[in-house]
This record gives sequence, structure tokens and C-alpha cells, in this order.
Amino acid sequence: MGEGVATLRRELRQLVREHVPPDFLGAFTADPADLEVAQAFCRTLAERGLLCMAWPREFGGRESSPWEQMAVREEMWALHEPRGAQYMGVNWVGPTIMRHGTAEQQARHLPPISRGEVIWCQGFSEPEAGSDLASLRTTARRDGGGWRVTGQKVWTSYATMAQWCFLLARTSKGARRQQGLTVFLVPMSDPAIEVRPIASMIGPHHLNEVFFDELRVTEADVLGTVDEGWSLVQEVLAFERVGIARYARVERLLHEAPTALGDQWEKLPEELRGRWARMLVHARRARLLAYRVVALQASGRIRPDDSAAYRIAVTRLDQESAEVLMDIVAEASLPDEAGRRFRRAVADHRRYSVSATVASGSVEMQRILMARALLAAS
Amino acid sequence: MTAVLGAATSTDMNTELSDEAAEYGRTALRAFEAAGGDELVQAAEREPEKRAGLIEPLLDEIGAWELDPRAGGDELEAAAALCRAAGWWALPYPLAERLCRPADGSTAGLVLAAGTGAGVGTGPAPAAAVAGAGQRWSTVTLDGRRGVATARPLAEGPRYGAFVAELDPEPVATSTGTGTGTEDGTADGRADAALALVLPCWTLLGMLDRALDLTRAHVLARQQFGQPLARFQGVQFQLTDAEVERVGVEELAKFALWSVQAGHGDAVEDALALRHAALEAADLVFRVTHQLHGAMGFCDETTLSWISRYSQPVRRHPLSLSATRDHLTRRIGRAGLSGPFAGPAGAAGAAARAGAGSAAGSGEEGQPR
Repeated sequence: MGEGVATLRRELRQLVREHVPPDFLGAFTADPADLEVAQAFCRTLAERGLLCMAWPREFGGRESSPWEQMAVREEMWALHEPRGAQYMGVNWVGPTIMRHGTAEQQARHLPPISRGEVIWCQGFSEPEAGSDLASLRTTARRDGGGWRVTGQKVWTSYATMAQWCFLLARTSKGARRQQGLTVFLVPMSDPAIEVRPIASMIGPHHLNEVFFDELRVTEADVLGTVDEGWSLVQEVLAFERVGIARYARVERLLHEAPTALGDQWEKLPEELRGRWARMLVHARRARLLAYRVVALQASGRIRPDDSAAYRIAVTRLDQESAEVLMDIVAEASLPDEAGRRFRRAVADHRRYSVSATVASGSVEMQRILMARALLAAS
Repeated sequence: MTAVLGAATSTDMNTELSDEAAEYGRTALRAFEAAGGDELVQAAEREPEKRAGLIEPLLDEIGAWELDPRAGGDELEAAAALCRAAGWWALPYPLAERLCRPADGSTAGLVLAAGTGAGVGTGPAPAAAVAGAGQRWSTVTLDGRRGVATARPLAEGPRYGAFVAELDPEPVATSTGTGTGTEDGTADGRADAALALVLPCWTLLGMLDRALDLTRAHVLARQQFGQPLARFQGVQFQLTDAEVERVGVEELAKFALWSVQAGHGDAVEDALALRHAALEAADLVFRVTHQLHGAMGFCDETTLSWISRYSQPVRRHPLSLSATRDHLTRRIGRAGLSGPFAGPAGAAGAAARAGAGSAAGSGEEGQPR
């Protein structure tokens, strides 16, 4: 990891110190000011060329190394993802449009993404199509020169604040369920789309239902080829092989714990400090497993199952560390502002960690993927 | 592993051993196989007094005695690869300990002593699977205090004792009288402690490799209810969880090896972190692999049974899982482990340890340099 990465980390930390309030716990809270903090921070990153570092130069990026991208992922997630929902547009919507979009789609969508001005949501999961995505039922029916989309998506993050949706719908019935699916890029402002938030323990804006009632779409809204959306979705998932650097927030919170507790740290039960040390080992392990994936990616030797071990380890770490951290703050009084801030951050981590083994592909799917590779001869 | 893990001096990160070290490991694996493979441990158990004679010429043949792990670089990596190959075959020999022998040849090898103080009674007597492989052994505590100890005769046969012998520390003169170790640890002593922790973990990693390889083959071959065990998701998920543990140990083992190689100030803590993960992994991997082998896994005709039994010494000595965690927790104090998020407290902690005589401190933002 080069000096460039160390410099990048310093620069990002400095920017967060300057532009993000210390009590920021992410863009998705009941306070609209948090979303504005994230939007403004994205503009700041974009002005400095830090938002779309990984993008090719022809689209305004820097073609940053996989290690720089990893450092950005770590720094942002460690500090409660001050980019808000932008990672979606930056990390995979934009790159997918670069590869498969028409010149018009690229001109329309890439500049606002690169400026951090637009939020995307992902219309994949449905009530009857979770891990088994290919069984989705939202249908685009031919209607003159275009289609009418009808159906329901669920668990759709950021749908209340998104301007655009990356929508997967069925356009025909193929011999295999993976055939006949098409990706549409649709504006969320269309009156044929209704968003209903779902109240949950992980906080507002994370989960929504999205209903499509005869939504009119045209050829111009299709990304890639009609009926061949499945391969495009597989590519999308490949962009996110390493996914969220969950270990980074875990490591930061674990390291902050003794400072936040001050003198009370030494009064913790010894066994609890032992659990804390164990979590530090597990966090390092998850980080090294992420680096292994990045190294494989960088050398072009990566296979789909290579990230599974990391994902299994890191999601388990997320949940186990939350339990340890909750026990640590429960054993201390933490009366000052920094202490209260730490307690809130830990509680936020605990609530969010519940979703770790479910979100972005359940841990069972990762196990299936890994078992398939391990037992390839079966 | 020339490019450093997590360091700020190189432009990329190579998490692999050098090609030379990896090739040396493969050569060792083949040489052990040609010399009998799984038969080696069985022959040593039948005739324990012959084990040194059985293994030492073999190690001589592959140039093991020419390796100096303290020289760092390729030699350290080759020593690690060799230990891993030895683990694969449950080689009945204290290879890691012997590879760390002092340059002057005054003792047979190096064993970590669990205690931290200079005197008797500060921890359990050192013990390792060294029976019959040498009389006098160098010892070092986690604080880097050196001593010499003599192996006791075997209390029980290798079938149940797996060649573990307790070691009696020899008295040495100190400024306060006669003790069993030097008074103050040195940086070299701590580097040796890290080395003495890390290399046996590479042996254990080789055992985990083998246990999982054997189990994979077993569940693919063994049919129940008209299909291979591998088709059952309950079997698949157990195997993947064990594999996650194994691959996690592999990454931590490379990191800890780098830490030793770089003379990192936190090398002992990094080694303890590795040992902690390796012992937890061994617990799960052997439980799963035994379970998936069914009753066959207990039988002498099954290789897993031998690997499992001969994994016991390295899993219990020099530190059990609880003792490993206890030492790690006390040593990292409030500072935690080094890493990009170690923060000022981490950096200060590492610096304090460096001030106490470590070879190097931590790098910027708590990252190893």
C-alpha cells in the first residue's frame, strides 16, 4: 500500500473533520440536515476529484488503484459513510452505464453522478424474490413502441430520496427464469411510482416498498439489451465483490472504546476486555481477507466465490462486535459529550449490524457460492 | 512477501509468500510424501525412540538445517512454508522449535515459556512435543527473557502424549541471586518470542489444510440416502464455515510473518493475535472435520485421526486459547492492535512498547511500517 494511500487517508479524514459534524451517524436519520450534510460532502469530494476516483479518465475519473479505492471504502464506512447513498451511483450504476449505456444515457446520467448530485435506488428485490432474484414478478408489458411496468419492489433503500431507479423487470418468459429480464433506468418522479417507507429498527430511509402501476417506459430507458438484463445484474454484483468495508467501522469503534471510557476502561470485567481483544483479532482477520480479495482483483485472478469467505467473516464480525461494544458501553457511565457520542455510535452500529447477514446477498448465499467452489467435483 | 502488508512504503500489496518459499514448501511436501507421508507419524508412534533418526536425515536432504529464520526474507518464509508442509503430514518432529535453534548450537532449539517473570512459578513449566529430539532447549518468555531448560523423560507414550515433554528450567545467575532466566527481556528476545509463536502456527495451518482436504474428499465420496454427503446443505455449510476459519488463519499467518520479518514493534502482539485465531480455527475445523467423517474419523485407518491427535501439542502449548487471549489482552492494554484505525491511543501504546526496548515502533496512524 503506497504512500499515496496514506496521503489519501489523511486527506479524507481532514475533509470529514472539516465538513461533517462530529455527531454525524449517517445520512439516513429522521433529521433532514444529515442528508444535506452528505449531499454537500459529496459535492466537496467531487470538486476535489475524490468522488469518482475509480472511474476512467474519459468519464472524469482518475483510474485510481484498487488499493486507493479500498482506502476510500474503509475511511468512508469507518466514519458513518458521509457520502450517503452516493456510493451506489458511483460504485456500480455509473460504471454499468459506462459499459452498457447509449451515448445519450451516458451524457444524461454520468455527469450528475460524478458531481454527487443524484441519488439512485436499486429495484431488484420483491416480496417473492429475495435471494432467488430470478423469480421476480414485476412485469414490463409491450405497449406500442414501449412497455407498461406493473409490480412491486421491496426493501428498496433510499427510494424516498432517490431521483432514479435501476429497475429490473420481466419483459418475456424465457426457457430459463434468468432469461427475459430487462434493466430500465426510470425517474422516481413519475406519478406511476409510489414509495411507501417501512418502519424498521435500522432507521428511516433504509427500507421501502415501491409500487409500479402501469409505468410507461420506452426503448430509450432500456440499459443494455432487452431480455438480457440478468447478465448485466451479474456484472453489477461483480462491481461490489468486496462490498462494504464493515470491518473499518468495527475497528474504529473498538479502538475508540478505551478513550471513550477513560478511567472506567480498567474497571471493566477482565473477561469483557478479553472479548474486546478477540474482536480486534477478528476485525484484523476480516480486513486481511478483504485485502486478499482486492489483491486477487488487482491481479485479474478473481472468481465469484473468492469474496465469499470475506463476506461471511465480516458480517459475522459486524454482529459479534456489536454485542461486545454494547456490553462495554453498558458497563460505563459516559457522562460527557464524547462519551454520549460514542454510546450513540455503538447503538447505531448494533442496530445496523442486524442487517449485515441479510443485506446485499444473505450469508447463506455466500455459503452456497463458497460450497459450490469447494466441492466443485460434486 | 517483499511488498509489505499495510505498510506505507510500497505501491502495492503482495499477500503471497515469495515464489521461492512457496516452491520450497511444495518440494518439502513431496519429499515427506516420498519418505512415507502419513506412514511417518505412525512409524514414530510405534517406535518413538527412532523418530529423530527417521526425520532428521529427511530434513537434512531438503536443506532444512541451512535455513535461518532469523535472517528474515526468503529464509523466514521458506521456514514457514516448511512448517506448513510438516503440518500437512503431521510430521512427528518439533520442526518449528528446531528451526529456531540458536546459531551457536548450544541447545537443540527454542521453546516459548508461558510465564513472564524471571523466576520459577511465574507460569506453567514450558512444555512442547520435543521428547527424544534433544535434551537442552533454549526458552524465551513473551517479554523476551531467555533461559535454558532440560526436557524431562516422557511420562507417557506418544499414543496419548503426542511426544509432549515438560521442560525443567536451568538456574541462571541474576543480579538478585539465582533464578531461571535473564532479568530483562531484550528486543532480540522479544523477536525470538514472536518467532517461536508464529512458526508453530504455520504447522497448525498445514494441519488445518489437511483436515479440510481430507474432509472434502470424504464428503464427495461417501454416499448416504443415495447421494454424496456433499449434496447436503447442512454438510456444505459446516464445511464453508471451517474453510472461512482456515483462510482467515492463512492471512493472519502471513501478516504475523511479515511483522516478524519487518522487526515490527508489535510482532509479539501480532503473533499472539495469530495464535488466538489459529486456536479458535483449530477448534472449529477439527470439530467439523471429525463430525463429517462420522465414526470413521476416530479410526486409526483414517488420516484425520492422526492429524487430529498430533495437532494437540501445538494447540495446548505453549499457550492455551484462554492463556493466549489473556496475554494478548494485557499486552495490548488500551492501545489495541496496530492498523489503520488504531488512532493516537494505538500509536502511543506501540510507542510505549517500543520505548521498552522493541526493535521498532508503529508507523503512521498506527499502521505497521
